[in-house]
Amino acid sequence: MSERTADVIIIGGGVIGASIAYYLTKLGVKPVLLERGDICAGTSGACDKAISMQSKNPGLHLDLALESSAMFPGLGEELGADLDYHRYGGMIAIENERQMAIMEKFVERQKNHGLPVEILSGDEARKRQPAFAPSVIAATYSPADAEVSPLKLTFAFARAARRGGADIRTGAEVRGLLTNAGRVEGVVTQAGEVRAGVVVNAAGVFAPAVGRMAGLELPIKPRRGQIIVTEPMPPMVHGEIWSARYIVAKYNPEMIRSEDPEAADLGVGLAAGQTAEGTLLIGGTREFVGYDTAVTPEATAAVLRHAVSILPFLAKVHVIRTFAGLRPYTPDGMPILGPVDGLEGFVMAAGHEGDGIALAPITGKMLAAYIAGAETDKRLRDLALSRFQQAK
Amino acid sequence: MSKHICRCEEVSEDEIRQAIADGATTVTGVKRRTGACMGLCQGRTCRRLIVGLIAAETGQNPAEIETSSVRPPVRPVTVEALLSPAGDTAGCKGREEDK
Repeated sequence: MSERTADVIIIGGGVIGASIAYYLTKLGVKPVLLERGDICAGTSGACDKAISMQSKNPGLHLDLALESSAMFPGLGEELGADLDYHRYGGMIAIENERQMAIMEKFVERQKNHGLPVEILSGDEARKRQPAFAPSVIAATYSPADAEVSPLKLTFAFARAARRGGADIRTGAEVRGLLTNAGRVEGVVTQAGEVRAGVVVNAAGVFAPAVGRMAGLELPIKPRRGQIIVTEPMPPMVHGEIWSARYIVAKYNPEMIRSEDPEAADLGVGLAAGQTAEGTLLIGGTREFVGYDTAVTPEATAAVLRHAVSILPFLAKVHVIRTFAGLRPYTPDGMPILGPVDGLEGFVMAAGHEGDGIALAPITGKMLAAYIAGAETDKRLRDLALSRFQQAK
Repeated sequence: MSKHICRCEEVSEDEIRQAIADGATTVTGVKRRTGACMGLCQGRTCRRLIVGLIAAETGQNPAEIETSSVRPPVRPVTVEALLSPAGDTAGCKGREEDK
């Protein structure tokens, strides 16, 4: 059995693990990244492309997102890759007065937190987004929303990390954790032990399995999101589009029930955007179905029914594929980041649900700085696992 | 310039070999790195060619190389056809148009 020693082990080759690996190499630390399958083979490769500011809850969540957003414009050049990054802005379509009341309050709180966002009348909204249905009574607009290819971003982080000296190993499955007297000492893989004083759990929806190796119960659950892909077409959708129902589904799905009970069960809300290739990505659902990544005709229909009500031109468009990804849900919608009480050297970096792409740069930077000992961001205290353990 | 393997997304043989050199050992791995198989035909033509290239580059047995997952719809179908009740004429029309 091979045995080797590293400074830092990162478990998980999704966008979060790859980002941490990259930012560590920038600080002169050369981590070993262990990925059971392939880079970008899980959640990061089965999501949409939005870097959404408008969907973030005003407070720490939005603050982190804005900071992360500010890191994106120069990132492609820094990583030496085209990331299909654009800041075209985003809009949230409002369909009735009840949603309007909710969105007015939400937008007011976002403005107070420094997000540039406004509510446009239906006609103003259709000037900016001609594809909106006449039934859209108003829409928010924020120039801060952007988009990026999650695939290109994840591979670019991993390749740049490798160039910087990180040892990125795919097909390397972690089967156990080595601990001694409340300290982590490494991991056991199918190919032997790897020893390190720091082990980062960036395993996303599989983070709870890694946590159990350390005797930790992590409140992360897989939440399925189904997405529909259309044929390519000339530009029809400008920037990112969400429905107010998407925001409601994210924070309070029960409120949708009176409008559409099936949509409430599936957590349906519209999130749509057009890729560089011209295809539309139309999401999505929020479903607790364990680790099942199947697509279902019920969800396809529920998502498309809602999508057509906001973007009527879609009725004549061809669907070429459907897919599903599992998002790492946490009870408060915030990721679990940083050190864990009682197990020195074990670092959490998981639970971003649908915000992993948007928050990847800031997560990588904050955690790399913490691990390299450069600085401990005070916010890591609020994002620690201990926030869920205090109630016990 | 090397020939196109994925015609829909215009991905060349060189790009696919580079993806394999980058660590792709499955069709999905090549797909996520290059965009091959992501176009209109969803890999109907190039999936087998990519399996052949992975086998040639890595020495794996072609029969054991994981191909990309097949997801609905089987071929392009309009949104309105998907939303119409089963057997409805709009659904049939959608399928006719695709022939």
